[in-house]
Amino acid sequence: MTLRQKLLLMFSFTIVAIVAGFACTVSLRVRRVFEDQNKEQTSVLVNQFQTEFAQRASDTSAAMDRMASGDSLKRIAFKLANGGDAASYLTIAATLAGEYHLDYLELVDSNGNIISSAQWPARFGYHEPAIAMAGAPAFLKEEPLPDGSSEIGIFSVRAVTGSKPVLYLVGGRVLDAKTLRDFAVPAGMRVFLYRNLGATFDAASFAGAAGGGDKAALYRHLIDEAIDTGRKSGEVIFPSARREDSVDAMAIPLKGQDGKVFAVLVVTNSRRGMVEVQNHIRAIAYGGAGIGILLAILASLWIAARVSGPIEQLARAAEQVAAGEWDARVEVRGKDEVGVLGTSFNHMTAQLAEQRERLVQSERVAAWRELARRLAHELKNPLFPLQITVENMVRARMLPKEEFDEVFLESANTLQAEIENLKKIVGRFSDFSKMPRPQTERIDASDVVRRVAALYGPALDEKRIDLRTIMDSEALPICADPEWLHRALSNLVLNAMDVMPDGGILTIAIARSGDVARLSVADTGEGLTPEECERLFTPYYTTKQHGTGLGLAIVQSVIADHHGTIVVERSESGGARFVMELPLVAKECGE
Amino acid sequence: MLCTALAASARTRPHYGGTLRVEIRGDAWASNGLARRLVLDPLMELGHDGAAKPALAMRWSSQNDDQRWALQLRAGVSFQDGAPLTADAVVASLDESCALSSVSGTQTSGVLPQCPWSAVSSVGVSEVVITTNSPEPDLPELLAQTRFAISEKNSSGTIEGTGPFKVAGFSDGALTLVANGACWRGRPYLDSVEIFQHRSIRDQWLDLSVGQADVVQVPPELLPEAQQQHLNVLVSRPIDLLALSIPTRGEFADLNMRQAAEQAVDRTALHNVIFQKQGTVTASLLPGWLSGYGFLFPTARNLSGAQALRGGAFAAPVTLSAKGDNAILQLAAERLALNLNEAGFKMRTGLSNAQSGLQLRVVHLGETQPRAALDEMLNAFGINVTVSGSNPEVLWGVEKTALQNATVAPLLWLPRAWASGERVRDLRLSPDGEPMLADVSLEDAK
Repeated sequence: MTLRQKLLLMFSFTIVAIVAGFACTVSLRVRRVFEDQNKEQTSVLVNQFQTEFAQRASDTSAAMDRMASGDSLKRIAFKLANGGDAASYLTIAATLAGEYHLDYLELVDSNGNIISSAQWPARFGYHEPAIAMAGAPAFLKEEPLPDGSSEIGIFSVRAVTGSKPVLYLVGGRVLDAKTLRDFAVPAGMRVFLYRNLGATFDAASFAGAAGGGDKAALYRHLIDEAIDTGRKSGEVIFPSARREDSVDAMAIPLKGQDGKVFAVLVVTNSRRGMVEVQNHIRAIAYGGAGIGILLAILASLWIAARVSGPIEQLARAAEQVAAGEWDARVEVRGKDEVGVLGTSFNHMTAQLAEQRERLVQSERVAAWRELARRLAHELKNPLFPLQITVENMVRARMLPKEEFDEVFLESANTLQAEIENLKKIVGRFSDFSKMPRPQTERIDASDVVRRVAALYGPALDEKRIDLRTIMDSEALPICADPEWLHRALSNLVLNAMDVMPDGGILTIAIARSGDVARLSVADTGEGLTPEECERLFTPYYTTKQHGTGLGLAIVQSVIADHHGTIVVERSESGGARFVMELPLVAKECGE
Repeated sequence: MLCTALAASARTRPHYGGTLRVEIRGDAWASNGLARRLVLDPLMELGHDGAAKPALAMRWSSQNDDQRWALQLRAGVSFQDGAPLTADAVVASLDESCALSSVSGTQTSGVLPQCPWSAVSSVGVSEVVITTNSPEPDLPELLAQTRFAISEKNSSGTIEGTGPFKVAGFSDGALTLVANGACWRGRPYLDSVEIFQHRSIRDQWLDLSVGQADVVQVPPELLPEAQQQHLNVLVSRPIDLLALSIPTRGEFADLNMRQAAEQAVDRTALHNVIFQKQGTVTASLLPGWLSGYGFLFPTARNLSGAQALRGGAFAAPVTLSAKGDNAILQLAAERLALNLNEAGFKMRTGLSNAQSGLQLRVVHLGETQPRAALDEMLNAFGINVTVSGSNPEVLWGVEKTALQNATVAPLLWLPRAWASGERVRDLRLSPDGEPMLADVSLEDAK
C-alpha cells in the first residue's frame, strides 16, 4: 500500500469517524428530546385520565349522595324499615339509574341482599359484598352482567340512613373505551383501555377511543407485565417492519381497593417524528461522509504533491540506484525534512558513483594483473623448454656432426611442439575474447546428452569412469545452438575426467522440471570447497595445475546466452555437480 | 221518590251508540284475538261455570260413548254478507280451522292442539255430525274456543262471521269494527269498536288515564300498581301457565339433569318478586281451581337435591330463552338462569333453539273442563300421554306420569287482567280471561 493510499485511508477514516460521531451525538440528543417530549405528553395524558377518572368518581359519588339524600329513597327506606315489601321495588333501580345518569345501580337491604338491580334485575335476593365500602371514596369494581360478561365500573356505595342503615345504594358508571373519547389526545398519541376481566388475556377486552382494538396482541406483553407487577411498564412496540410505525407504549395499571388490577390504561406515542428526524440526520451524515471522503481524496492528492511526491521520487531514485543507475538524482524542493532527505540522497548517490568508479578501476587493475600473471605463467612454461632447447642446440655445435644432427633434430621437434603449445594458449585467449552469438534452433535437449555420451564413452572407459545417463522418455524441446551446447557439456565432461584420474562415476541426468529442462553433470571426484564453488565461473580462475580458467567461464557464457542458469554444488557422493536449467519451448524458436 | 227512582233507573239502563277504544299488546286477529271474538261466533259458548252453552248450535247430543256428536244449528242465522248459516258452511269452517290448527300446531308454535275429531259432515241444512276416534266428552267446550268460531270467506275473500260486529276497516293503527244490526243475538250497544294493536302497557295506561282508551291490558306483575293507581281492573282466574320447557338433548339428555333443573328453580322468588305475588305457585299442569289436586305437586326449591342430582359433571353452556318479546319473561328467564347456575349449570339467556336449550313459555289454558284442559296442556308441551278419564285421581295419575320425565317444569299460574275507563259499563271477562266486549255499553253514549 502506497503512502498516498495510506494517507487517503487515514483522512477518510478520520472524516467518517468525525461525521459518524457527530451524527450519533445529534441522533442521541434528538432521541432524548423526543423521549422527554414523549414522557411529558404521556404524563399529561395520564394526568388527564386521572383527572377524568377522579371527576367521574366525584360525579358518581355526588350522584349517589344526592340519591341517598333524596326523599324517594328515604321513603323507601322508611317503608322497608317498617316491614314494607321489598318486592315492590324490583324495578326501581333502573328508574333511579336513568334519573341519576348511572350505568349501574343496586338497592341493597341491611343484610346485604339485593332488592333491585338496574344492570341485572334478576339478581334480586343475592348478596352484594360491596356494601362494606359504604361511605368510602369511589373505587373500581368488576360488575357481572346477565349475559355472562363483566364490565369494569367506577363505583360508590352510600347508605340511606335512618336510626340505622336500612338501605344501601351501590351505583357506578362504566369504565370502557368510550370513557376515553372525552380525552384531548395530541396528534400521534393514542389511548387504549384493557379491562382485566378474566384469568387470561382477552383481546376483546382491549379497545381504544379511536378503534385499534385489533392490535391487542401487540400490547399483550406490556399489559401482562403491568397486571403482574401492578406497576407502570413501557417499551417500544413495532407494529410492522417499518421503524416509522413504531410507538413508545406505556401501560398504567388501574387498581381497585384490594390492589387488584381491574384495568390497564395503555398510552402510545408514535415514534414517526423521531425516526424521520433520525433518518434525516443519517442521510445528512451519509452525505457529509461522502463529501468528506471526496475532500480527503483531494487533500491527500494535495498533500501527496507536497509530501508523498518527493518521497515517491526518492523511492523511484532508490530503485534506479538498486538497478545500477548510479547517476540517479532527485529534485530538491524546499528546505524541510523532505528537502534535506533529497539532498542527502543526491549526496549519497554521488558518493556511491565515485566509489564504484574507484572500485571498477581497482578491479580492472586487478584483472590486468591476474591476466598478466596468468599469461606470464602460461607463457613461462613453454618458454623454459625453448630456452633449454636453444642452449642445448648451441652446446651441440661442439659435438660431432652426427651427434649434432641428432640433437638438432630432437631440439627442433621440441621447439616445434612448444611453439604449437604457445599457439594453443594464444588461441584459447583469442576464443574467449571472440565468442560469437549462438545460432539457435528447436532441439531435443536429450539429444545433446546422447551425443556427448556417445563421443566420450570410450575415453571414459579407458579412464575407468562409469558413465551413467538418466533421461526422460519424453522430448524436452529447447531453443539452443547444438554445437555450443555440445561444447559446453563436453567441457564439463572433460573437467570431470580431469578430477577423476583414478576412475569413478560420471552421472549425466536430464529431466523436465516445471517449464525448464534440468541438466546435471555429477562426478565422484574430490569435490569443491564453498569458496571454489563461488569463484569457479570467474574467468581465468582454475583449480587445475595447467588450466587456463576459461573453460567454465565459457560454459557459463554459453548457458547465459541460452537464457539459462548454471550452478555448482556438492553432490551426495562428495563430488561436484553442475546443474543447468534451460527454458522449454512449445513453439518454434523465434516465434 | 219517583223522580229519584227514575233517575237511578236511567243511570243503570245501557245506552246504544258510541265507540269503544281498546288497546292491546298483541294482534287483534290472532286465533284467540279480540276481533275474532267480536266478528265470529262459536258453535257453543262457555258459561261462568265453564260448561258449554248454546250459541250457533242450539242442541247437541253424543252417541257411541262420546265418539259421535250431532249438532243442531240455530235457525235464521246469517253471515254478515247475508248468506245463511248452513251445515255445509259450518263443516267448511271447521275444516279450515283444523287446517290452520294443524299448520300452527306442527310447524309454528306447537301451542294449538290438533283437532280431536276424525271427520265432520253435514246432515241436511242444519245438522252437523262430528265423529272422533276416541271418546270426547268435552267436545262442546272445545268447540266453544274462539279458534273454532264459524266463519266463511265471501266472494272477495274477506272473512265474514255471524258475530255482533263486522270489520269496517283498518286505519291509523286501529282495526275498526262496526255493529252488525242483523246479528242473531241482536244489535250490540256499541256502534263501533276500535282496537289499537301492538301498544305497550305504559302507553295503554297513559291513554286510559287521559281518556284516549277505554279498555287496556294489565299484566299480572303490574296488578299491584294498577290497584295503587285505582284503575278499574277485572282479573280472571289463573289461566296462563308459566313453565320451563326442558329439552331431552345435549346437557339435559340425562333424566337426572332434567330433574336437577326442575328442582333448582325458585318458584317463590318468581311469584313474590317478579310477578308481585300475583297468581299461584304451581308444579302442576292444571290450575288448582280446576283440578283440585294442584297442591299435591311440591313447589319448594331443592337446591342441594339439584346439585346432588347434577353431580360434578362438566357443564356445557346452555341457553335459556323466553318465548315472546316480553320484558317480564326475559327477567324471569334471567332469574331462572341464576337459579340453574347455582345448581352447577352454565346458563346464558338469549335466543335459543327450543330443541337444544331451555325455554320459558306462557301457555294459555283455553279449556274449562279438567280432562280437556290436561289434554290441552299435554299437547302444548308435546307430552305424549293419553288421558283416559275425567276422574281427578285419574287425571292426577296421568299428570304425575307426564311430569316424571321432567321435560316441563310448571312454575306459576297467572291471571289475565284488563282495566277499563269510567264510561265503560257491563264489562265482564270470559272464562278464558278475555273481555266480552259485545255486551259493553258506554255511559256517555246517547
